[in-house]
Amino acid sequence: MEEDLISKKELLELTGISYGQLYRWKRKQLIPEEWFIRKSAFTGQETFFPKERILRRVHNIINMKGDLSLDELAEKLADTTSYAHPHLSLSAAQLLERNIVSLTTLNRFGDATAGGKKYTFEQVVHLVAVDGLLSKGEMNLDEADGLFRTLTKNTAKFAGKNWELFFIRKMGASFFLLAATPADLIFDDGTRLVSRLSLTDLVEQLNGKLN
Amino acid sequence: MNKQPLPDLQLTGITGGAGGIYDNVILEGVCKVNGAVRAQVIKANGVITFNGDATAEEMQANGKLKVSGTLQFGSMEFDGMMTIDRDLRGENCILNGMLTIKGDGELENLSGEGVFTVSGLLSAGHVDYRLQGQAKAGEIGVETLVIRKAGGSLWNKLASGLIPKLRTELITRSIEGDVLDLEFTTADVVRGGIVKIGQGCRIGRVEYLTELSVHPDASVGKVEKGGE
Repeated sequence: MEEDLISKKELLELTGISYGQLYRWKRKQLIPEEWFIRKSAFTGQETFFPKERILRRVHNIINMKGDLSLDELAEKLADTTSYAHPHLSLSAAQLLERNIVSLTTLNRFGDATAGGKKYTFEQVVHLVAVDGLLSKGEMNLDEADGLFRTLTKNTAKFAGKNWELFFIRKMGASFFLLAATPADLIFDDGTRLVSRLSLTDLVEQLNGKLN
Repeated sequence: MNKQPLPDLQLTGITGGAGGIYDNVILEGVCKVNGAVRAQVIKANGVITFNGDATAEEMQANGKLKVSGTLQFGSMEFDGMMTIDRDLRGENCILNGMLTIKGDGELENLSGEGVFTVSGLLSAGHVDYRLQGQAKAGEIGVETLVIRKAGGSLWNKLASGLIPKLRTELITRSIEGDVLDLEFTTADVVRGGIVKIGQGCRIGRVEYLTELSVHPDASVGKVEKGGE
C-alpha cells in the first residue's frame, strides 16, 4: 500500500516534540512499534512513520496529556472501545459544523441511517469511513453505497473488537473486506489494494475532531 | 486480583523450581526456575537461571543471572553478570557489572558502573553510566544521557592498550536524545537538543538543535544545526 511517510526529523520539526518525548511515548506504548519503519537513507539508517497516522496520534497525545497521565493515556489508546464514546450522539448539523462528514456524504447516506436526527458513534464512524474514501476520490458513489451497507450490516459482528477494512480492485471490479486486526492479507498479482482503514484510525481521526 | 495470599518460592542450594505467580521469590545458590515467573519481590544470589519470562515489582540480585525470555521490573538493583535473551523493561535500574540484552532495553532510569551490550534499541528516560570496558548498543534513544569513564587502574590502562576489547568506550550506530553528555563514545550519528561531545569521542555526524560543545580531543566528522 502506498502511504505517505514522514521522517523522524521532519516529524519532530513539524510537531515541536523532542527525541526524548518520542522515545518516552514509544516506551509507554503510545505509539505502536509497527509505525517505526526503518529505511536506509543517505545518512545511514533512518526511521520513518506513516505520516497521516503519526501526526494525528501526536496531536491527540498532546491534546490529552494535560488531563491524563501517560499510563492512563496508553490504556486509552490501546483500547479502542474505551475511548470510543458509546453514548455519543451527534446531529447532522454538528457533523457538518465540526467538519466530520461532508455534506455530499451526509445527504446521500444520512437518511439511510438516521431514524431520528441523531447519529450514534458507530454510525458516525461508518460515515467517516465512507466520507474519507469518497473525498480522496478512491471510490465512486455506487461503491460507497455498497461499502456503507456492508459496514452497517457487519461491524456489529466484531463485538467491539478492532477491525480493518480492505478495499481492493481487480479488473475494474471492486471488493470490500472486513477483517479482525491484526490481519495480514496477501493478494494475487492483478489485485490492487486501493485503501486500508482500521477502526483505530477512524476513531482516532474522529476523536481529534471532537476534542 | 484475588485476596488469597500468594505463596513464596524459596530455593537454596543446587535446585530447581517451577514458575508461577508468587509473593516473594528468594533464590540462593545454583538455581533454575522453569517457566514464567511473576512475583512481588525477587531476591537472587548466586548462579540463577530463569527459563522463561520473569516479572517483578522489586528485584535484587547478585551474581550471575540468565533470563531466557523478557525481564520486567519496577525497580532493580543488580551486581554481577546478567544475560537476557529477549527484552529488558523496567522503571528504575541500578546496575553494576556486565549486562547483555539480546533484544531491546526500555528503562526510565538507568545508572551504574560497568559494561552493557544491547543488541537492539536502548530506550531510556535518564541514563547515567560509568564505563569500565567496551559497551555496545545498536541504537540509543533517551531524554538525558551521561556517559563517563570510570577511574580505571593502571593495569587496566596497560591492558587496554594491548587488547582492544578492554578499551573503555561506548560503540553505537546512533544516539538520539534531548540532553547528551558523552565521553569515549564512538557513534555514526548523534542527534540531540543540547549535545556535549567530551574527550575520546569519535562521531561521524552531529545534528543539534540548541547547543553543541566539542572537546578538543574529540573527533567529529560533520556538524549540522537543525531547526532553521
